[in-house]
Amino acid sequence: MPARFIISLPALVLALCYLLMAPARTSTRKVQSSSELPRQARLIASDSGSEKWARFVTLGRTLPSGTMLLQQDASAATGGSVLAFFQRMSDSSWSTGLHESRYAYDLIESVHVWALCLFFGLAVLFDLRLLGWTMRTIPVSEVARRLLPWTAVGFAIMVISGALLFSAIPLRSFQNIFFRTKMILLMVAGINVWIFHSGVYRRVTSWDMDRIPPKAARVAGAFSLVLWVAIVLSGRMIAYNWFDCDRQPQPAIINFLTSCVPTEAEH
Amino acid sequence: MSLLGFFQWCEQSGIGEAIRKSAWLFPLIEAIHLLGLGLIGGAVLVVDLRLLGLGLRRQSVAQLTRDAQPWLVGSLVLMIITGGLLFLSEAIKCYYHGAFWFKMTSLFLAIVFTFTVQRKVTMAEETRVSPLWSKVVALVSVALWSGVGIGGRWIGFS
Repeated sequence: MPARFIISLPALVLALCYLLMAPARTSTRKVQSSSELPRQARLIASDSGSEKWARFVTLGRTLPSGTMLLQQDASAATGGSVLAFFQRMSDSSWSTGLHESRYAYDLIESVHVWALCLFFGLAVLFDLRLLGWTMRTIPVSEVARRLLPWTAVGFAIMVISGALLFSAIPLRSFQNIFFRTKMILLMVAGINVWIFHSGVYRRVTSWDMDRIPPKAARVAGAFSLVLWVAIVLSGRMIAYNWFDCDRQPQPAIINFLTSCVPTEAEH
Repeated sequence: MSLLGFFQWCEQSGIGEAIRKSAWLFPLIEAIHLLGLGLIGGAVLVVDLRLLGLGLRRQSVAQLTRDAQPWLVGSLVLMIITGGLLFLSEAIKCYYHGAFWFKMTSLFLAIVFTFTVQRKVTMAEETRVSPLWSKVVALVSVALWSGVGIGGRWIGFS
């Protein structure tokens, strides 16, 4: 059951994002930038004639003024409809409000970090039990039965707060290489949970009291540990803008992986 | 040397300088710091949940505390080392940041509380500790450690 739950996570995230997308479009352009950067908007007046689709996002760069601005026509980009979708989400009053609020974003991020302890901390303890590194005298099934519900609670808080954080900066997050890595790793972690619960854990009664569980369980624990660590690391790195679309030139592979379309001038 | 002088000395130290100059050292150390936070959270919560009568309640509190102890201490050491490095790179900012002082106060109280009051409760025979007192201790512990974590996160917000 938890396995299926975790596998469906990315779909859930996208669904939540969709639900959160307010239909109203604000007339102001806003900037998609890392929260660690100065939240400076450099706005350009758009041509009123092409108002409908020429919704350029102008990204204020941290370079000296006068440097070229990246204009990204989301509707014409590769995978345009998806980018346009997140573009519209960025333009929603919900997203703008959350992004520009004084405390809401920071508070949600604090909740996200707090829930990390509940989810990641207890999941790691379970993995360590599978490796035989802690709680050796406690039956594995007991640890699973009593601790995993708490990791599920932590996970739910992570997903909700994470989706809210995403909704505040949707386009930039969607094009962020670390965000994409994190989502893929989450799916892999979900598959790992599923393999564990449908495989070696079914026979847990035969090794429940082992101080050091059998190899299959140790491997699952080690995989899980490595994956969750990688997920936390990639999550933390989302805040950094090293590979953002507005930092050109980037290697072609990076632009491919982030669906960035640099303008001609930037090539 | 005044307190501010000490902070300035930290900021100007070679290590702080090196971390500031590097593009990836700060993010890397910070990421390890975050992993330590997760681990310390797990080690604290597994004992506190037990004290609250939740989680692994068939095991004795003393046993769980002993099992969690190496991970608590280990991650605490990791946190202090990585946190110290992060501090060296931005000591002056910390000096003027309320969240830093909030975090340090919480950290001091959390460590003292965990290794004195809470230790006494977890190592005592369970029949001799009232359930209410156990719960109060657990809640205070969660509150103090949460203060450390959230205070730390707010150092990053300007």
